[in-house]
Amino acid sequence: MAQPLVKKDDDRDDEADYSPFLGIEKGAVLQEARVFNDPQLDPRRCSQVITKLLYLLNQGETFTKTEATEVFFSVTKLFQSRDIGLRRMVYLMIKELSPSADEVIIVTSSLMKDMTSKTDMYRANAIRVLCRITEGTLLTQIERYLKQAIVDKNPVVASAALVSGIHLLQTNPEIVKRWSNEVQEAVQSRAALVQFHALGLLHQRSKGVHGHSNLQIRQNDRLAVSKLVTSLTRGTVRSPLAQCLLIRYTSQVIRESAASTQAGDRPFYDFLEGCLRHKAEMVIFEAARAITELSGVTTRELTPAITVLQLFLSSSKPVLRFAAVRTLNKVAMTHPMAVTNCNIDMESLISDQNRSIATLAITTLLKTGNESSVDRLMKQITNFMSDIADEFKIVVVEAIRSLCLKFPLKYRSLMNFLSNILREEGGFEYKKAIIDSIVILIRDIPEAKESGLLHLCEFIEDCEFTYLSTQILHFLGIEGPKTSDPSKYIRYIYNRVHLENATVRASAVSTLAKFGAMVDSLKPRIFVLLRRCLFDSDDEVRDRATLYLNTLGGDGSVVETDKDVKDFLFGSLDLPLVNLETSLKNYEPSEEPFDINSVPREIKAQPLAEKKGPSKKPAGLAALPTAPATTVDAYEKLLSSIPEFVDFGKLFKSSAPVELTEAETEYSVNVVKHIFDSHIVFQYNCTNTIPEQLLEHVTVIVEASEAEEFSQVVSKPVSSLPYDTPGQIFMAFEKLEGVPAVGKFSNMLRFTVKEVDPSTGEAEEDGVEDEYQLEDLEVVAADYMLKVGVSNFRNAWESMGADCERVDEYGLGPRESLAAAVSAVINLLGMQPCEGTEVVPSNSRSHTCLLSGVYMGNVRVLVRIAFGIDGPKDVAMKLAVRSEDESVSDAIHEIVASG
Amino acid sequence: MELSLIGLQNAGKTSLVNVIATGGYSEDMIPTVGFNMRKVTKGNVTIKLWDLGGQPRFRSMWERYCRAVSAIVYVVDAADYENVPVSRSELHDLLSKPSLNGIPLLVLGNKIDKPGALSKEELTEQMGLKSISEREVCCFMISCKNSTNIDTVIDWLVKHSKAKN
Repeated sequence: MAQPLVKKDDDRDDEADYSPFLGIEKGAVLQEARVFNDPQLDPRRCSQVITKLLYLLNQGETFTKTEATEVFFSVTKLFQSRDIGLRRMVYLMIKELSPSADEVIIVTSSLMKDMTSKTDMYRANAIRVLCRITEGTLLTQIERYLKQAIVDKNPVVASAALVSGIHLLQTNPEIVKRWSNEVQEAVQSRAALVQFHALGLLHQRSKGVHGHSNLQIRQNDRLAVSKLVTSLTRGTVRSPLAQCLLIRYTSQVIRESAASTQAGDRPFYDFLEGCLRHKAEMVIFEAARAITELSGVTTRELTPAITVLQLFLSSSKPVLRFAAVRTLNKVAMTHPMAVTNCNIDMESLISDQNRSIATLAITTLLKTGNESSVDRLMKQITNFMSDIADEFKIVVVEAIRSLCLKFPLKYRSLMNFLSNILREEGGFEYKKAIIDSIVILIRDIPEAKESGLLHLCEFIEDCEFTYLSTQILHFLGIEGPKTSDPSKYIRYIYNRVHLENATVRASAVSTLAKFGAMVDSLKPRIFVLLRRCLFDSDDEVRDRATLYLNTLGGDGSVVETDKDVKDFLFGSLDLPLVNLETSLKNYEPSEEPFDINSVPREIKAQPLAEKKGPSKKPAGLAALPTAPATTVDAYEKLLSSIPEFVDFGKLFKSSAPVELTEAETEYSVNVVKHIFDSHIVFQYNCTNTIPEQLLEHVTVIVEASEAEEFSQVVSKPVSSLPYDTPGQIFMAFEKLEGVPAVGKFSNMLRFTVKEVDPSTGEAEEDGVEDEYQLEDLEVVAADYMLKVGVSNFRNAWESMGADCERVDEYGLGPRESLAAAVSAVINLLGMQPCEGTEVVPSNSRSHTCLLSGVYMGNVRVLVRIAFGIDGPKDVAMKLAVRSEDESVSDAIHEIVASG
Repeated sequence: MELSLIGLQNAGKTSLVNVIATGGYSEDMIPTVGFNMRKVTKGNVTIKLWDLGGQPRFRSMWERYCRAVSAIVYVVDAADYENVPVSRSELHDLLSKPSLNGIPLLVLGNKIDKPGALSKEELTEQMGLKSISEREVCCFMISCKNSTNIDTVIDWLVKHSKAKN
């Protein structure tokens, strides 16, 4: 350790230090452990042996129950030694062995003695070990000492007790909850660590580690955390560590309360902003980062945080420079303008000795810079690209990608850069990032297509990743035939059939066939190549070649390929794969063939996580949406089990639950709308959240006063609704078949309420009739639309044809932003956004959104909407609808016109 | 020298340690959970005492702390007739372990201050001490509360430490 640092360079091999314990054997060490039983103990020797045992355990060596127990009991003999160092090792050893050895309880008495010892070290460590090994009943015996320890003068002891409290919350929360006074006192401690641990314990406690995760309790927890933060942000948390922790809890509270309080000032922002002026850099940074991560942060809120981060950029400490530049890099993705002020400081970091800092600085500049600086920055990146780790190379590649989309004119130099780094060494993730970027550039910048495809061809000539090769071959099959000279790609593809493994060979065969099907002039040559593949050693390769030759007319006649054949071979599967998989699993072999039309098409909406980075489109190659269909299945099963609904036919769609009550009310009710051809079923999910009540004969009185096209046919109340046990009430309505009727329904919960004695759980005989007003429920046009994505929108659009196309223009009036208008229209139609077009890059003045779905009656619908800003804030859009049925195309326009 | 102190719960083991070490006595004792290790110096002899818990869950572990000690001290509550048979069978079970062959045994009948406590003869009889062979066995009647016969016990212990060394 004390050796002077001779070399700074990469020659790590030379300075690799070996553990003195390398190669020791368990058997031998267990033999050595006999010294613990010697009548005359040698503390030094014993400490060494324990160190070896701990080393073995940490290397993943396991002791059998007998071995562990044997070692454990000999270690307990060491309590006779008064050597402080040895005792410390004994504590560690007991903690390590406690899960595997039997009867660890035997040391309880000795630990209790140490816990009240005069030696601080004994007290602190004995508390930690004791809390690890004790069970509930003994805990009450030592509780008094633990409470004392929390307020112990020695910070190490207090911390030990607080940390043990955090652990005990998992197993014995009710005991720890009794320590309020002591923990409150510890929060005021002058010792940094004690304050930190006390705050951690308080937070855990108010979070409440409950066995049952009931919504109500979680809401109470949220309130408690919020209260905790409110009181502490006003108080005097001195320790920087604790202050950082408090900032994190505060951001959590802000995150969770953001949904409810949209208007007005953000709570606790002043606190975060105040922390920017703290003495400790750690706290300043934590606060700045917290501010930048606020959801929907405004420029005004950001400014003070950016200012302190800018100061850090020129700090002499590398860690501060790194922290600042990394945070600013993230901010640049969402608020590039806010970061431009730091550009000058950032420029000087490009030559930073620390490569990570330099990389982050450059990529940030790429995001914030203008077109003229691109070439200069690119030159600088090229210089150090080979010196940085893959992880940072990916950051660079992603920055280049977004830069290219921002400045399409620069595509040539950026594409060159990408192809150059593609030729260099790199791991899978890195290569995948480059390929994805090239694919996106090809897709979005038509001029880049030909050169991009050639780069990809060159790459698969020497690609070690099967996954990437097959993906590129697939992509070539789609894009290659549409280029001016498709024949030049054939050589690259056919080379794969000679040189690669079976998986890649099979993909190459499919790609060849696509060229053959799309480009008639190439057909005879392709057939020759495919025939050669018939002699391949792999089944799959031969099967594919045979299939293509037979369906595409490989018998020599050169004819135009039939549209049906094309659809069959290359059409996209418009079913969610998960749904298909479940249906196939449920299919039992029988006379009746499997019907692909019986597979449900509904997919769950994409998780929101996708929306985080507006500049980041979903990766190019593998963007087929997949989502579980489990809820749909569950609904279908539930409804088909109710005799009244059996005649309704096949379930078309089930909506997401709509809340009909505020959070934290006495009764919680949400409703799911199930759409059938000529019926609609409302499923009310009700929960009684009052322990002192039992509800009986619960029903919902539904008024269809603003929904004349519906008439109620079935009502299924629930007979009893005990506390915290959800029950379902069903109401079914009839409507005209195939008509997308809309309307508004008012709802009233009616029931008989009986008092319950919480101690016995018994309800009183007599009940009282009561009613509870619920919120209104609407059936809207989107309820008749299924979200079904397509993997390649352009292909789907073109193959749908313009026969039933309807185009019209609409003015949407003043809107808050372009993004708000886009998401309003998507919600109105209830369709699946494709290719990430639901995300609107900030500051853009126009946007095209692609939607896909299946309309009632199982009619496919594709929608292309071009939005534009017209005037100061007015948004206008041009809506083009294609479907298999013109009345459906009209219906979509009708929805928009009346929406 | 090293000693193990065993016997059923509430026989007075921890009290005995306290009396030997400091001469103090307290009515208000909590059960020993596991063991206590005490070192006591008498004259020029240092005695290491393993004072073990007497509850049933710890009895299986007595043997581990009796291996290779200079003597086993077994404490019996002489006023608790009902538990003497249990005490007797635990003692004989323990002594049957081969690892403890030949280790001298000192049986102490405690609490003779209580009215109706057994006499030395009755205790010897009821504990079956006569049947123990191939080891030295000795029995004293003591009271930790009144410090009766504690000196005799200490003398015995000191003598055995010398004999062994």
